[in-house]
Formats: sequence, C-alpha cells, structure tokens
Amino acid sequence: MFVNLAVQLVVLWALWTAVFAESGKELVGEWDLTGILSYGVMVFLTGRVVRGGDLQMAVASEIYDGSLSRYLLYPLNYGVTKYAQQLGNVFPNILQSIVMAACILPFMGSSSSVDLHVTGLLMCMPSLILAHLLFYIMGLLPQLVAFWADNVWSLSVLMRFITMLLGGATIPLSLFPEWSQGALAILPFRYLFEFPTLVILGKVSVNDWLTGLLTCAVWCVVMSLLVIPVWRRGNLRYTGVGI
Amino acid sequence: MRYLRLYGQFLKFSFSRSLEYRLDFWFRIIMDCVFYFVEITIFLVLYQHTDLLGGWSLDQTLVFVCGYLVVDAVHMTVFSSNMWWLPIYVNKGDLDYYLVRPVSSLFFLSLRDFAANSFLNLIIAAGLLVWSILRLPGEISAVNLFWYLFLLGNGVVVHYTMQMFFEIPVFWLHTNRGLLNAFFSSTKLGERPDAIYPTWTRRILLTVIPFLLIAAVPARVFFEEPSIELISLSLGVSAIMFLLMVAFWKLALRSYSSASS
Repeated sequence: MFVNLAVQLVVLWALWTAVFAESGKELVGEWDLTGILSYGVMVFLTGRVVRGGDLQMAVASEIYDGSLSRYLLYPLNYGVTKYAQQLGNVFPNILQSIVMAACILPFMGSSSSVDLHVTGLLMCMPSLILAHLLFYIMGLLPQLVAFWADNVWSLSVLMRFITMLLGGATIPLSLFPEWSQGALAILPFRYLFEFPTLVILGKVSVNDWLTGLLTCAVWCVVMSLLVIPVWRRGNLRYTGVGI
Repeated sequence: MRYLRLYGQFLKFSFSRSLEYRLDFWFRIIMDCVFYFVEITIFLVLYQHTDLLGGWSLDQTLVFVCGYLVVDAVHMTVFSSNMWWLPIYVNKGDLDYYLVRPVSSLFFLSLRDFAANSFLNLIIAAGLLVWSILRLPGEISAVNLFWYLFLLGNGVVVHYTMQMFFEIPVFWLHTNRGLLNAFFSSTKLGERPDAIYPTWTRRILLTVIPFLLIAAVPARVFFEEPSIELISLSLGVSAIMFLLMVAFWKLALRSYSSASS
C-alpha cells in the first residue's frame, strides 16, 4: 500500500514538475502545479475506494470450479450477494485512504485551482458510493463471459486498462484533446474516478454534482440491464462442474 | 546445446497448449494491444501541453515508450507465465519435480512456459518500435541503433531480475501478493523519461532499484552519443543484480522444505 503511494507520489511530482518547467506555463489546462498534484493524490485515494469492489476473478472462478451452484440454491440474487461481499472489502481501503490522506494533505500546499473543504468531502460520499456500484457492475460483465470462455483474466485486465485511462485515473480528462471531450462526457468511465475526485477538490458546482449523480445512477441501471440477459443466457450453459 | 534443445521443447509444448484455448488466445492479444494504446495515449495527451518532456520531443518519447513496450512484450512472452506459477509451485511442494531434474532449476522454472499468444504481441510491439524510429527526424546512426537494441535486451534481463527479487521471498513468506503488487507499481518508475527525476532519485533508479535501465537509459544512449559511462553502468548494474538474484535464489532453495516435510 505505502509502496504504491510512494511510487505514485514520486512519479506524479517528477512528471508534472517537468511538464510545468518545460512548457513554461503557469497553468496546464485549468490546473496549476499544486492543483494537478492534489488531483493525482486524490484520484489515487478515491480510486482505492472505488476499486475496493474489484471482483478480480471471484465470479469467474466460481463458474469454473462449480462453486456457483450453491449460490443458485440460495433464495438470494447472486449479483446482490456478491456486491454485499465486495462491500466488506471496501472498508480496509477506506481506512487506508483516510490515513494516507491525513499524512499527505498537510504537505500539499495551497492551490488556486482546487478548493478542499468539508462540503466537498460530504458531496463526495454519494459520488463514491455510486462510483463503487458502477465499477462493480462494469466488472461483472467480463466475469460472466466465463460461462462461454475458458479464461477471462485478460478481459478483466483489459477492462481495468480502459477504465483507468478513460476514467481519468491517469491524467485529468480535461487535458485530453478538445475533439474527445464530447465522447468522454457521454461514456460512463469518468464517473468512476474523475467525478468523485473533482467533487472532493471543490471543482463541481451543486447543479453539476446532482446531474453527475443522476447520470451515474442511470449508467448503473443501463449496465445492470446489460448484465441480466448475459447472466440468464450464461446460466443456461452452466454445467456445475466440480460438484 | 542441451539447454537450447530443451528450450525448443518448451516452445513446441507452449504453442500447442496455448492454441487449446483459442478465445483466451485472442483476448490476451487484444488486452496487450489496449495496454500499448493506453501507454502511447498518455504521452500523446501530455504532449498536447508541452513540447518537451525530460528533454525529449514527442518523437523521441514515442521511441522510448515503444522500447518499453517491446521489453514488456518480451517479458510477457518469455518469463511472465513462469513467474505466475512459481509461488504456486513453492507452496504446493511441486518445486520438488524441478529440483530433481538434471538442469538448472532457475533456468527450468524461468523459461519452461513460453506464452505463445504474447509472442504475437511482441511482433506488434516491435512493429510499433520500428514505426516510432522511422518517425524520428534526421539520420539514424547505426552504432546508436545497435547500442539501443543491445541495451533493450539488457533491459529485459533487468526486468526479469527485478521481478525475481520480489518473487523469491515467497519461500519464506508463503504469499508474495503484496510484494508483487509493490513490484508492478514500481515498474511505473521506469515508464517515464529518466531526466524528469531529480538527481538523487535518478541515481537510486539507476543503481539500487534500476528501473531506468529497462528502457530510459537505452533511449538516452540512442538519442545522444553512446556514452561509455552509461553503457558500463547499465551492463555492470544488471550483471551485479543478476548475480545477487542467483545467490538469493540459492539461499531461498536452502529454506525450501517441500510440501510434505
């Protein structure tokens, strides 16, 4: 955990210091140096919470080894049961993120482009809850391909690469070229990492925040509607190997 | 010669096995292509806001990134699957089967599984490297190119050696998941141009945890006059790291108790 954070800090600081120094600019996009460093730190910390629901290979493994069968006998929805299990995984991540934030933020310095305050923190909580749910549902889809394919590890990793880039976990999406902004705004990825981070940094107005929450909730519904038929079709193919 | 023949057998076996899972074969190729796309896109976005990064232009940085992708592709093809299995062998006691064979256990365990699907990605990564080199303005010196490719090969050895340092503690810890996470995070340090780091950080990344030797130093040698100092540093550090890793491996084997003991 601390190695991850240390590497993230070293790379962030070195990279953005070089960009600002070599471009000779005071602002890159709408960010000053302290602002973009704060973004990098906060997106790392909020990302840990959002990815706390990462299924990794849990669902696919249950399909492969047949342990899915017992869940099919329970009088519970499988997706909801797995989400409840994943929620339990989030709490250590939340605690770690709070500790790391407490260690780093006092040293971040002031920025003209970000405004860290309690309101942003409070507004961030529902954004994080929805982002966590959306990340879980999006992660479920490649896992369910395990009903058809012998190995879906690469699909899950592929999904991670895409969400990290298009979700703003690597670089703020506002720095992407103008022509891509329309598409990035429509896609669900930005609600995973960038949106909660911008909320906590005080860069989202109340109206935009409410619109963002609503859009994220709509994406959760859309993704769930995609998952349901895949789950049903997959169940028809499931043979319960391992019983 | 015996080791080459043995490696030939590894290749034959790995190709036939990977073709058994055809869907996974294609998933992995797509996954790596997306990884290449992401790595290149990050720098394309950064260069929207600056003309130079670590003293390199966009064209130079693309050569550096594509060089890194080639090293990564070689690693994925040759070593990665073997690294994945090593902790499982140690914990289940399956290492016994490899220790009793009349070949080096390190050779056997590091090279047995050749990822045939990643081999296609290696060709794609090499194609990207050729494309990025051809984009460079001006003439390319054959000497610089020779040293660049040679040092990229050395980068593969450094990458493998560094990962082994994070793998071997599994003999004592029985799980190295945390250590491997730390390793994969740390590789990010080598995915950025060396000149962006402050002097002391750069020194550490060239010697103690030499991630900059993987692709950044080869690229610097390619763009500047081949410096004897940098080349000797690269080869010297990687040789020392490799020998230390072999010694670490031997020490770890002494602590191996097998599953049944």
